[in-house]
Amino acid sequence: MASTPARTGGRGATPARPRARGGSRYRPVLLLNVLGVFAFVGMWAAATELGWVSPIFLPSPMAVAREGQKLLSTGDLWTSVWASSRRVFLGFALAGVVAVPLGILMGVWWPAKATLDPFVSLLRPLPSITWIPLTMLWLGIGETQKIMIVFMGSWIYILLYTIESTKRVDPLLIRAARNLGANDLAVMTNVVLPGALPGILAGLKVTLAISWSCVLSAEMIAAQTGLGAMIWMAKDWGNLPLVLLGMVCISITVLIADLAANWIERALQPWERHKRD
Amino acid sequence: MSIVLSADNVTKVFTVGGGRTVTAVENLSLDVHEGEFMCLLGASGCGKSTMINMFAGFTQPTSGEVLLHGVPITGIEPRCGMVFQSYALFPWKTVRANVEFGLKMQGKPAAERRVIGERFINMVKLAGFEEHYPAELSGGMQQRVTFARILAANPEVLLMDEPFAALDAMTRQVMQEELLAIHERHRKTTVFITHNIDEALTLADRIVVLSARPGRVKAEVQNKLPRPRHVETQLTREYLELKAKLWRYVEEEIQRHDAAQRELVA
Repeated sequence: MASTPARTGGRGATPARPRARGGSRYRPVLLLNVLGVFAFVGMWAAATELGWVSPIFLPSPMAVAREGQKLLSTGDLWTSVWASSRRVFLGFALAGVVAVPLGILMGVWWPAKATLDPFVSLLRPLPSITWIPLTMLWLGIGETQKIMIVFMGSWIYILLYTIESTKRVDPLLIRAARNLGANDLAVMTNVVLPGALPGILAGLKVTLAISWSCVLSAEMIAAQTGLGAMIWMAKDWGNLPLVLLGMVCISITVLIADLAANWIERALQPWERHKRD
Repeated sequence: MSIVLSADNVTKVFTVGGGRTVTAVENLSLDVHEGEFMCLLGASGCGKSTMINMFAGFTQPTSGEVLLHGVPITGIEPRCGMVFQSYALFPWKTVRANVEFGLKMQGKPAAERRVIGERFINMVKLAGFEEHYPAELSGGMQQRVTFARILAANPEVLLMDEPFAALDAMTRQVMQEELLAIHERHRKTTVFITHNIDEALTLADRIVVLSARPGRVKAEVQNKLPRPRHVETQLTREYLELKAKLWRYVEEEIQRHDAAQRELVA
């Protein structure tokens, strides 16, 4: 800022952020992250390679890595990751497209909420796997059924988060907007939607992890492809390294999805930038 | 001077928990004249916020009428622009977008909005902060943005609900002087709520003291202290006499309120 006008308060345009506990020195967070992981894998390797634990119960990290290398070279690993990711993405996107608008409607218009509340209350306690028999009957065991399981397991959470975030928008801001001449539509687009956005995005992020657990249970019960199917088949073959490989792949894939979600969150909410370094 | 805003025998009763009712304002009548700066002064709970919310159309009187140019106010009234104690800036809009909001709602084209917005941003000394978000500004700066926002929208009446109450004493003093300068320039009819006698004496042309709950007009004091009123004004004899007079009114009400409370408990 070339010209900085006189400031009046304690916090200025470049607010002095409160120091983190423990002083202001540089803290090697990433270093400790990496060291921790290495230590864990090292102990795992030691325990298995030195024969403290039988490979029947826990294969060594090297065995898992070899399994990974094999599947990477055949391309099977990517096929599995892609099959699961695609189902999650489609089911999750469908859930968002249905639940976000519906949640906003239920948040701002009480008759909609009053009408739909009983259904929400009844559907909410049902885990997505309870939908597997019915969806298989209706949709077979193809892709649509998997996507449907993800949808059924996700949409209700997105809906609940959206309703709650919409209702929590500061009524004072709505008053202020109306006082400045905003009509219903303008209040909606200028106040309610941006006000509810942080809560909706937080809900989507939480739900994304839930969507993953939905697709995995669906794949374990009836599927030929995907990480869930891979783990389940490996269990039947007694290939424990492959089971662990599948679990590692799930963790990494969800982690990457979460990083992408964080990035989207930041891009959509520039006004939250002061909270970040 | 013509009457712009008036309360005609207004009573406001709130229903609180358990079916009990609280009368916030009772049989209150007052007129606000064109271009004047009027302060509503009273202790906490005297119904002054209720009154200003009725002027803005946020709530309606239980009986009586609130009138703008003789026409009852029945809904939220953009001609009575409100400055809130807690700023009520849109956190997701930049300073510029906040200031231009009212103009946008009026359907003004972008280029015109920009010019008008810029003028008021400069006026409240926030040039250079146009692209900042409210959370990146200090409390005083945020309150300046709300001034720019409301002035850009150009309402007929300015309603101010203890706008400086959340600021520290020094910032408050600076902001009062800036508000006075703005008032000198625009001469907008202003209703300003405060429980601070010094603030009322510094700002107002006329001070209306409200009684303890239920709020009624207790007294009216014309404030003819010469303008501009700087800090030195607060040391003059006239100022101190007015302050003593106002304090007696307010003190009576506080004591009356306390006595009523004691009776309620006993």
